[in-house]
Formats: sequence, C-alpha cells, structure tokens
Amino acid sequence: MSQKPKIAFFQCQWCLYSPADQNWVDTQLPSNIHLTKTPCTGRINPLYVLNAVQGGADGVMISGCMPEQCHFKTGNMAARRQLEEFNDFLNHIGYEKERVRFVWLDLQDRGIIQKQLAQFEQDLEVLGPAKNLITRTKIAEGGLNA
Amino acid sequence: MPDLDAIKTEVRRLLADGVVEVVVAFKPGDTPLHPQPAFFHSPEEVDSLVHNGLCQNNLATFLTHLPKTKKVGMVVRGCENRSVNALIVEKQKSRENLYLLGVPCEGIIDWRKIVEHVGEAVLAVHENSDEVTVETREGQFNLSRNELLHASCLRCAHRNPISADILIGEPLPEGDPNLARVAVEEFESLTNEERYAWFQKEAERCIRCYACREACPMCYCTECFVDHIEPRWTESGATPAGMQGWHIVRAFHQTGRCTDCGACERACPMDIKMTYLTEKLNNDMRKKYAFEVGLDIQTQPPFATVTLDDKNRFSV
Ligand code: SF4
Ligand code: SF4
Ligand code: SF4
Repeated sequence: MSQKPKIAFFQCQWCLYSPADQNWVDTQLPSNIHLTKTPCTGRINPLYVLNAVQGGADGVMISGCMPEQCHFKTGNMAARRQLEEFNDFLNHIGYEKERVRFVWLDLQDRGIIQKQLAQFEQDLEVLGPAKNLITRTKIAEGGLNA
Repeated sequence: MPDLDAIKTEVRRLLADGVVEVVVAFKPGDTPLHPQPAFFHSPEEVDSLVHNGLCQNNLATFLTHLPKTKKVGMVVRGCENRSVNALIVEKQKSRENLYLLGVPCEGIIDWRKIVEHVGEAVLAVHENSDEVTVETREGQFNLSRNELLHASCLRCAHRNPISADILIGEPLPEGDPNLARVAVEEFESLTNEERYAWFQKEAERCIRCYACREACPMCYCTECFVDHIEPRWTESGATPAGMQGWHIVRAFHQTGRCTDCGACERACPMDIKMTYLTEKLNNDMRKKYAFEVGLDIQTQPPFATVTLDDKNRFSV
C-alpha cells in the first residue's frame, strides 16, 4: 500500500487517564488518523461508525474504559453490546470484521493507545485498502451548490 | 383454516358489550389479493371483516397510531401477538387496554407469488390448508399453499398467538426453530464479496419510499433518522450511500425488536429482500443473549439493558 491506511479513531474522553497519553492523542496523531472524541463510548452512535466506513475509512478504532470503570457507570457496557453487534452486522454484508477494533483501557494503563494504533495500522496494511461500502457521494468541486 | 364466523361473533360481542372501543382487523380491499387493515367501531360494521392468508400487514403497526388509553381489540396471528408484546415492553401500550383475539396462523401467502403464477387479473381466491384456488378470466388455477407462503412464514416458529385473551381455533403444531438459524447460516457461508454483492443488488433498487418503515410495528419513531436534517445522519437521496445506509440502519434499529413477520418485505414496491438482514440480528440475539422477541411483556431487549455478565462476554 503506497498510502498509509486511513483510520477513524473514536475516543471516549475519559479512557486515557494519563495526561501524557491524552496529550499525545490530542496533538501528535499522524495525519492518517482522524480523531473524534466523545463524552463516553455510549455516545458513539453506530451511524458514526457507518459514516466513517462509507466515507472511506480503512479501519475504525474505538477506545473506551473497561467494565466497571465507566465515568457514567454503564455507558461502556451498553456501547459494547451495540457496537460489537454493529461490527458483526457490517461483516454480514461484506465489510471485513478486522477493520473495526475495540480497545478497552484500564485506568492504570499507560502508553497502550500508541501501541494499539500502531498495531492496527500494521494489520490494516496487510489487509489492504477497504473496498466495500465506500459509497459516500463526492461533493463536487466548488461545494454543494456548484 | 380460521373460523371466520367465530371471529366475527367475538368481535361483535366485544363492540356490543363495550369491552373495547375499536377492533383492528382486515376488510376486503380493491382486489382479492389485497385485503386491507380496517378499524371496526360498531357491531354492524363487522359483516365486512375478513381474515385469510392474503392479509399481508402486521396489524400491531396500528397500535401506535391509536391513543394509548383507548381500549383496543385486535385480531392477531403469532407474529402480531409477539409484536404487540414487544410494544408493551417498550411502553407503547398497556396490556389492560388491549383485548387480543388470537388466531393460530397457517402462514401468509405472498401475493407476489400468486401474480407470478397467474398474473394480476385475479377475480377470486379460495384457500384451504393445502391448496389455494385462484380464479382469473383465463380460468381456475390450483396452487399448493405451501409454495405460496412468504419466506418468513416458511421458517416461522411461533404460529400460535402466545398471550391472546381468547384463542379462536385449535392451536397448530409449532414450526422448527432451527429453520431461521439455517437460513442465516446459509447466507453467512458466502464469501465477503458475495455477501456484499447481494446486499448491493438489493439496496440499489431502493426508491426510499419508506413503505417498509410504515409497515413495521417497531418503526414508530416520531422522527426517523432519515428525516432528520440537523444533524444529517445519512444521505437523504436515492444515492448509493443513502440507500445502503437506510437498509443498514433501519435493520439495525430492529435488533432485539423484530419478530420476522416479513411485513416490510411484502410492503416493498421494489420487491427488495430485507429479512436476511433482520434475521441475522435476531439470530445473534438468540445466540448471544438467549433472547427471543415478544415472548413476554417484561423482558427488555438486549440493547436496552446490561448485566455484569458482560464483563466476561466480550473477547477484549
Ligand atoms: S423489520 Fe420487517 S420483519 Fe421485522 S418486525 Fe419490522 S416489518 Fe416485521
Ligand atoms: S428506521 Fe429507525 S429511526 Fe426510522 S422509524 Fe425505524 S426505528 Fe425509527
Ligand atoms: S419499501 Fe422498499 S423501496 Fe421503499 S424504502 Fe423500503 S426498501 Fe426502499
């Protein structure tokens, strides 16, 4: 792959407990990774994931807190139920399951997210660019009203 | 076959005694192929009530069209009874305000299959448990009832209404619950590319008319995500992303809520298949959470609840 895989990264704003890690994500992310911070994984609507996929993401990474460590008590658990199933469902219609990855972090974890993103990028390089479900209408040059 | 006179007698009684204010059932439509849902308010109107294999709709859909406190009677088959239960779980109606006339169901005849055999100019249809006799100008055709059934009915495991106030007719033997699983597994055995090709071929014919949504008892949102402008959740035109997005998300919203009644498919003017999506989700809910939609009026669907078990249920 000549270009680096495009990764849509959805991050719960509480899951990176160490300021160093959060700071790295906020300022040092490579340009092929697109960050969306959410108040909780429970706020990640499956439609967000679908929009990333339709828009051409080669992979989607979702990071949140381990069970029983959610800032909102059970947001992560509800998210796990829904988003895991949504991933299975996308797979049902031909989107490779390996393209969506979850990272559930412990509050003690340090330096994990960098490693996870690097590993995900490597694995996506092996998989090659995504082909299926990339259908979003390209906006014509000059904007919507051109 | 259901005893129509017994149904009518009971409906008349409900209305005459004031047990309910309205009964939702079917009346004859423009052609014999399309009986239509109807609201019966007085015993006199009940003469025109019909109930046969060509009644395509899931009547539970109309529950959310009526005021919550209205006393409603409804003629329900197996899937409709379960849809009603699912709506009660979601607090769209309370059981006290409902009177369910259950009719054990021998399966819904997919009207399209009749048209395939004999064309559209149908004068009359008669049926018994094995055979459907269709009269047209060209003559009379005898068709096997089983071959005309809608796919959802062929794999149905809940023909008998499970919580009706009165059952009209004898309970039927239940279907094999494995049939639904086998159908999903068959589709899943295809390769990624084949599955995507199938999905594309179905979704791309969609004209975004939303008949599938209107036909579904569980699509009762006041504002559907596709009608939402700010933020715009998905492309709203008949574009590839819009059509695929609609199919993906409509089905996904039915997770743990769909009874596989098949009303969405039968309503689609483009003959688009949709239950291969919802059945996958149903199958997963059975596998992962041992959950079957509408078996009672308390159990919340898996997405509406979490348990501490979840800690061990996920791989990561
Ligand atoms: S999605 Fe289709 S099969 Fe499922 S409940 Fe709605 S109308 Fe019935
Ligand atoms: S598709 Fe989803 S948002 Fe639209 S009516 Fe159905 S359940 Fe509601
Ligand atoms: S009924 Fe058929 S054509 Fe209409 S929106 Fe649904 S899938 Fe599309």
